[in-house]
Amino acid sequence: MLKIKPDEITLFSNYIHKLTGISIDQSKAYLLETRFGRLLQETDSTTYADLYHKARMEPGKHLEKKIIDAITTNETLFFRDTGPFDLLRHKIIPELIDSRIAKANGTRPSLKIWSAACSTGQEVYSIAIVLKELLAKGNYNIKLLGTDISDAAVTQASYGDYNKFEIERGLPKDKLIKYFSSSGSRWKVSDELRSMATFRKINLLTPFTNLGKWDIVFCRNVAIYFTLEDRQKLFSQIAQVLEPDGYLIIGSTESLTGVCPSFVPKRHLRTIFYTKR
Amino acid sequence: MSRLNILVVDDDPVTVILIQKKLVKEDYAVDTAEDGQQAVDKLTKRYYDVILTDLMMPGDIDGIGVLEAAKEWNIKTEVILITAFASIENAIEAMKKGAVDYLQKPINFDELLLRLEKIKNMKMLMKNATDLREAMDVTEQSSAGTIQVLELEVGKLQTLISDINELLLNDNLDAQSRIERVIEKIDT
Ligand SMILES: C[S@@+](CC[C@H](N)C(=O)[O-])C[C@H]1O[C@@H](n2cnc3c(N)ncnc32)[C@H](O)[C@@H]1O
Repeated sequence: MLKIKPDEITLFSNYIHKLTGISIDQSKAYLLETRFGRLLQETDSTTYADLYHKARMEPGKHLEKKIIDAITTNETLFFRDTGPFDLLRHKIIPELIDSRIAKANGTRPSLKIWSAACSTGQEVYSIAIVLKELLAKGNYNIKLLGTDISDAAVTQASYGDYNKFEIERGLPKDKLIKYFSSSGSRWKVSDELRSMATFRKINLLTPFTNLGKWDIVFCRNVAIYFTLEDRQKLFSQIAQVLEPDGYLIIGSTESLTGVCPSFVPKRHLRTIFYTKR
Repeated sequence: MSRLNILVVDDDPVTVILIQKKLVKEDYAVDTAEDGQQAVDKLTKRYYDVILTDLMMPGDIDGIGVLEAAKEWNIKTEVILITAFASIENAIEAMKKGAVDYLQKPINFDELLLRLEKIKNMKMLMKNATDLREAMDVTEQSSAGTIQVLELEVGKLQTLISDINELLLNDNLDAQSRIERVIEKIDT
């Protein structure tokens, strides 16, 4: 594999930070080498600097998208950490539904859930399964949005199509059979679940425009790649789009201490969630 | 990694014995079944890494039936189909249903061994990945526990500090009682 030079690391790390917020320091040579090996070949680039300049010069930004796809870590699974999904089922949704029914006075109550870095969609479909099993169809206005910065991830999420390694992870067999159908070695989400969700490409570090307000925001395992400053920016933006009585769920090893004073941590059973101060 | 467990399914006992002998010699653990029904009975009782099955067999369950049952039972089981006639349609159908490979009769053993070796390598990589994931899960769970406790503790302390701050700045109290109230607050 072609070795990356220190000044090329700097070049890429600044570029990637500007594109995605992902923070890469000088020690991550191996990461850049493994992630960009294929792109070098595909683009006939002789050096990493060469690849960088091609990406910067290209008007269509195809290469830039590929760089984003390559550098993002899309690691995810169905019902990741299980706790947040039990929390949804037993606490958050029942409570929100009660309050939204009271507010709706007679009209269909609505519920808006946003998965803010949904990767290939497993988180969104896990939420959809919980909603499906909890709420009678047609009685509610449900809006379930999945967003990610990676085109490739959003496209796969939108297809709702998984290989056998992806489908095996975290999805109980009864749910697999109920909500997915197989063709060859691939599995596709049922139309029923698929129709509950929409997907879009959103960079969480650009201003949220036309995003509306949300009752529940999942923002898990994405801020871990950001600097403290970018985390602060991200979570204060999220505070602004969360309803006053809304809920925020972050990754199980993440913390908002020193990141965002707008949120208070609370615990339900084994899971921490956040509400607005 | 331990030896691969293989189930050989064919209604022709000669073929079965031949394959069994070859595979045992190569240090694979081999079990056999003489038709689809028996194969399904066996594969629902124990786990096989690989099932090597004839496509056409008498009885209700043919090779495709075995393939479907195997995949339904455990997605990790790999199935190789053996066909008497090379038929592209059959092969495509089998691959669509999740077979890893198909072989033509008469069986070329070098080819079979090569494919099994490939499956073994693939399984080893998968096991590596699974082990890594498990290790990651354990680390993640334990650090999540620590972080949860810290997060709630810091939250409490922050509230305490702002309460104390308020008490200390309370103009309605004299210095002595401010300090008394603060000590009270800290004790509770
Ligand atoms: C590890 S995945 C997390 C997926 C899921 N939330 C979970 O917890 O399983 C992180 C995702 O964040 C996305 N990402 C990274 N930077 C981003 C940004 N600035 N805006 C939006 N998404 C971003 C990546 O593309 C990747 O799919």
